[in-house]
Amino acid sequence: MAENVSKTKKLFTVGGLVVLALGIILYFAKEPLGLNRKIYDLPVFLILIGLGFALKGFMSKAKSEDDLDLGSKSFGEFLTNNAILLAMLVLVVVICILQPRFMQIRVALDILTQSSTKLIMALGICFALLIAGTDLSAGRMVGLSAVISASMMQTATYANRFFPDLPQVSIWIPIAAAVLACMLFGALNGFLVAKYEMHPFIATLATQVIIYGACSLYFDMPPNNSQPIGGIRPDFAQIGQMRLFQGIYPGFPGISILIPISLVICVIIWFVLNKTVFGKNVYAIGGNREAAVVAGINVFRNIMFIFILASFLYGIAGVLEAARTAGATNNYGNGYETDAIAACVVGGVSMSGGIGKVGGIVMGVLIFTVIQYGLQFINVSPMWQQVIKGVIIAVAVAIDLTKYRRK
Amino acid sequence: MSGFLLEMKNITKTFPGVKALDNVNLNVRAGTVHALMGENGAGKSTLMKCLFGIYNPDGGEIFLEGKKVNIHSARQAMDQGIAMVHQELHPIRFRSVMENVYLGRFPGHMGVVDHKSMYDKTKALFEDLELDVDPLALAGEQSAAILQMMEIARAVDMKAKIIILDEPTSSLSDREVEHLFKIINRLRAQGVAFIYISHKMKEILEISDEVTIMRDGQYVGTWPVTDDKGEKLTIDFIIKQMVGREMTNQFPPREGKPSDEVVLKVEHVSSPLKKSFQDVSFELHKQEILGIGGLVGAQRTEFVEALFGLRGIASGEIYLNNAKYTNKNPGYAKSKGLALLTEERRATGIFGILPILENTVIANQKNYASLGILNEKRMRIDAGEECKKLNVKTPSLQTLIQNLSGGNQQKVLIARWLLTNSDILILDEPTRGIDVGAKYEIYNIMLEQISLGRSIIMISSEMPELMGMSDRIMVMCEGRVTGFLNKGEYTQEKIMALATQFAGHKENAA
Amino acid sequence: MRKLFLILLTFLLIFSFTAFANADEIKIGACIYRFNDAFMLRFRNAMGDEAAKLGAKIEMADGRDDQTTQNEQIENFIAEGVNVLIINPVDRMASQPVIDKAKSAGIPVVFINREPASEMLDSYEKAYYVGAKAEESGIEAGELIAEYFKSHPEADKNHDGKLQFVMLKGQNGHQDMILRSKYSVEAIKNAGIEPVEIASAIANWDKLQAMNIMNGFAMSIGPENIEAVIANNDEMALGAVEALKNSDYNKGDKDFYIPVVGVDANASALDAMDKGEMLGTVLNDADNQGKAAVRLANALASGGDVKSIGYEVTDNKYIWIPYQKVTRGEKK
Repeated sequence: MAENVSKTKKLFTVGGLVVLALGIILYFAKEPLGLNRKIYDLPVFLILIGLGFALKGFMSKAKSEDDLDLGSKSFGEFLTNNAILLAMLVLVVVICILQPRFMQIRVALDILTQSSTKLIMALGICFALLIAGTDLSAGRMVGLSAVISASMMQTATYANRFFPDLPQVSIWIPIAAAVLACMLFGALNGFLVAKYEMHPFIATLATQVIIYGACSLYFDMPPNNSQPIGGIRPDFAQIGQMRLFQGIYPGFPGISILIPISLVICVIIWFVLNKTVFGKNVYAIGGNREAAVVAGINVFRNIMFIFILASFLYGIAGVLEAARTAGATNNYGNGYETDAIAACVVGGVSMSGGIGKVGGIVMGVLIFTVIQYGLQFINVSPMWQQVIKGVIIAVAVAIDLTKYRRK
Repeated sequence: MSGFLLEMKNITKTFPGVKALDNVNLNVRAGTVHALMGENGAGKSTLMKCLFGIYNPDGGEIFLEGKKVNIHSARQAMDQGIAMVHQELHPIRFRSVMENVYLGRFPGHMGVVDHKSMYDKTKALFEDLELDVDPLALAGEQSAAILQMMEIARAVDMKAKIIILDEPTSSLSDREVEHLFKIINRLRAQGVAFIYISHKMKEILEISDEVTIMRDGQYVGTWPVTDDKGEKLTIDFIIKQMVGREMTNQFPPREGKPSDEVVLKVEHVSSPLKKSFQDVSFELHKQEILGIGGLVGAQRTEFVEALFGLRGIASGEIYLNNAKYTNKNPGYAKSKGLALLTEERRATGIFGILPILENTVIANQKNYASLGILNEKRMRIDAGEECKKLNVKTPSLQTLIQNLSGGNQQKVLIARWLLTNSDILILDEPTRGIDVGAKYEIYNIMLEQISLGRSIIMISSEMPELMGMSDRIMVMCEGRVTGFLNKGEYTQEKIMALATQFAGHKENAA
Repeated sequence: MRKLFLILLTFLLIFSFTAFANADEIKIGACIYRFNDAFMLRFRNAMGDEAAKLGAKIEMADGRDDQTTQNEQIENFIAEGVNVLIINPVDRMASQPVIDKAKSAGIPVVFINREPASEMLDSYEKAYYVGAKAEESGIEAGELIAEYFKSHPEADKNHDGKLQFVMLKGQNGHQDMILRSKYSVEAIKNAGIEPVEIASAIANWDKLQAMNIMNGFAMSIGPENIEAVIANNDEMALGAVEALKNSDYNKGDKDFYIPVVGVDANASALDAMDKGEMLGTVLNDADNQGKAAVRLANALASGGDVKSIGYEVTDNKYIWIPYQKVTRGEKK
């Protein structure tokens, strides 16, 4: 077996170096060969991918016992286990052939940008999934947070101001207000689930309806009267639109600030789940609630905290959506929860609780966004996009379940 | 024809990293009770799962009545006349007993269920088994014993040729065991073969015709319980075959005596539920093992759960080290130095999908955290040490606990509570479903804790254990304390008399 | 049972009080499909103002987007004894029973905003419709683009004389979506420019969706290849504007500008137009529609001449209020 393993590692290293070399050659050859408009930034991607693989090969050599990845599994098993990922790669290749513009760094960055808020949502909702629950109120919380923050962040000269006499407040006040409002409803979720042992499906369904109603009431307050909120202050819009390192080399579009924001949140959530008492308790409650009670875990407090933390993340997502689009309506976030749940599930989070990793969730969100973005890119009809999305969810979960069932 | 109803030949099954079964044989004759024995982890359950189609063996063959069969699912096993009564029963709690008996094969036409015929059939079936249960009663309200009978009735009705009983008596009182044996004897006379998995030597010698012993996934041998010369197998012989060594003492020697210091005082504690424990009073001394005896249904578990804050109490007072104690919740009980090892390991003990590490430290996380952030290194060291001390057999701390045998799971749970450094350990059936070797280890752990100045309350339904380990025994019957017996003065008969004080007039008191 | 009786009694009391109040004043009962709708809000305000001017009493009911609720409200109005009904149907295809009810009570009925089928209107001589022709919004949006294209030669980025545009559509199957999409293209054609649709997508009237989609188009097509963006409403147009800004277009630099048009003239769109981010929009004239509806209703109820109300009545059934183009600097 050990030989097998080192073989895989060699494969990684050598393959990676080959791809890397190809990338470098193409990078310098594309100008003279006139391939600029045919392969766009492909060389850069090749260089990055090659580097990644080569590094993986090197790194795994260092700790040889731990990683039995490919070698011990049969090829067929490898295929089924990574079916969704492979399907995504095939799709990416097909799109690149159909529409070479896809091979641009700005496209990759745009995909990451669009993944960002989805990732924040998914990280929030994974807590509910980890305790074998769900959170249907997530999407509406985004709407609530977007409306509240946007309503206080309009320019003084805008014709249809939500609060006509509101002074130019610090941007942190509306953000805090929006996130706090979400956390309030998160606490309601947690209370219903923890206190009355209500199934999260029902509890969050009730909250979802309440939030939408409350948000619509707020949105309908005169003088706004359900008009879409616009005229957003540029300093607020910057939170979602700012781009870093713009133009460090000619034509570089810059990295959307949303990407580092979601990365930071990702790291924090990873830390919370893996390194804190709270995180361990979440897995324990999801794994066996009764045993958690016996072990002296304060289930009430933990569940409260789960829903409040999740709603905090939804609140952040809502603020970012409002800033990114420089506007808000009470319909923002509608249906986000289903996308987030789907991404989590594709990323290996079990609906029956206790199983799920941050890395998996990141993968799930990226796979989903790439596929959605790619299909849109080659102008596949939205109806077909829906069909494909549904198939992905079903296939991903089916594969996941067979993985666990295989004995 | 070989004369065997069932032959399993050279069955091999490998899990990643473990050879669970290595060329195991099992030959069962019709109309016999065939005991399958071995320590936990010896591979008995795996073998049965291969027979029942839950696992697919990697090698070997299965013959039924001389014909080779391939069984890939429980359904196919049942079609072949094989039925299994699991150790832990999971009835559909909110449906009636009869629906549970006929689940998956309701009588009727074209999808319309014939409830009348189902009722009549169940009634007849139950009468045949001398079972006094209303077929319309909810399954969730029945005792473990009745549920087991229900499963046997189901097997009988399916005309099962082989019935696998996995630890059938682990939650039965002696009276119920008697009833079970009566039924087994009757069915055996009708030609049904039983595969009987149990750790209880006496029972096995009483009920079985043949014994097959396994050790570490390997076949050790098969012996008739009574040989040609009329000589019976001895317990020592069986234990020797099971553990591969002589085991002279079932219980380690107890050194020292409990002190006079009272660490826990319970006064007239009653449950809010009429049928549960009432008016319980006792004192627990420092360094004492207080055994609680009684039949199933004596409300012993309910009482200790209340003590630990899992259930409410209506009246009465509890003093811990002479200070008043309220049973707020388990977290509070824990902080006051109580620990509870629950009876239902799977339901309320382990976190199956989590690794051993998390399972070990879960009750003690506060001590490894500063500002809520865990110190993983310290957790690893402590959990590793504790598991090593308790001799938990596992490749690593990252192994999921559900992949361990019952005995090892139990040791992890004990390690969990030892890590909390609790002063009073409440152990509810600490050795249930655990092999002899592991039992002895657990007894040693208990004595070690006592020598460290701690106290233990132990519920046990196994008489030898209760008498072998306790300094004092409190016997309960139907929720009430019926008496205390000191070391030296208790006998099995005295305990039984106290345990059945109110139960004499009722069948199935549990 | 007793509760039900009590409720009925209360209702009867209310009705009898209201029915006998001010018998000589003209009473208009207006049923709005939903109060919580920005456009209908403007409509309602216009109707209220006009009724006050004419000295008529107008009472409005919120149908809460439910046809059954609205039917009950209509029955209540009839029972109250209103002189004329103004109906903004929840479901325009379910208007026949409404007309039948008005007919049997002999009350004139003016439909607004959502147009019943012509055979329904024809079944009752006192049934009218006040509204805008949906196709007109498309035509005017198309004309906005065409006018810009003609007056700004640099807008033809690839100098082929054709107009390469992107279309952002509303909810699939929605009448406005179909008509606006179709007629905006027609209008460009009629202005003598050949339109070429290089991409279109459904963004469900939603700013966020439109923004994501337009982002994708900017990547896949390249903003330098897009000569115009036509959106079925302002929110989607604004989403497109945000996406273009993300690609450093429409930020003030003339060389990096794509004309974007929408429909509705909402405040955000006017704001964006002031900043030069959006070319123009089309206003569905709620003020004039509201005015016309109330004047028509008043004339019908008082037996006055419907021809003298200041709005042209076509086919003795319809008053068409034209849409208005709104471009930069032209705030209403």
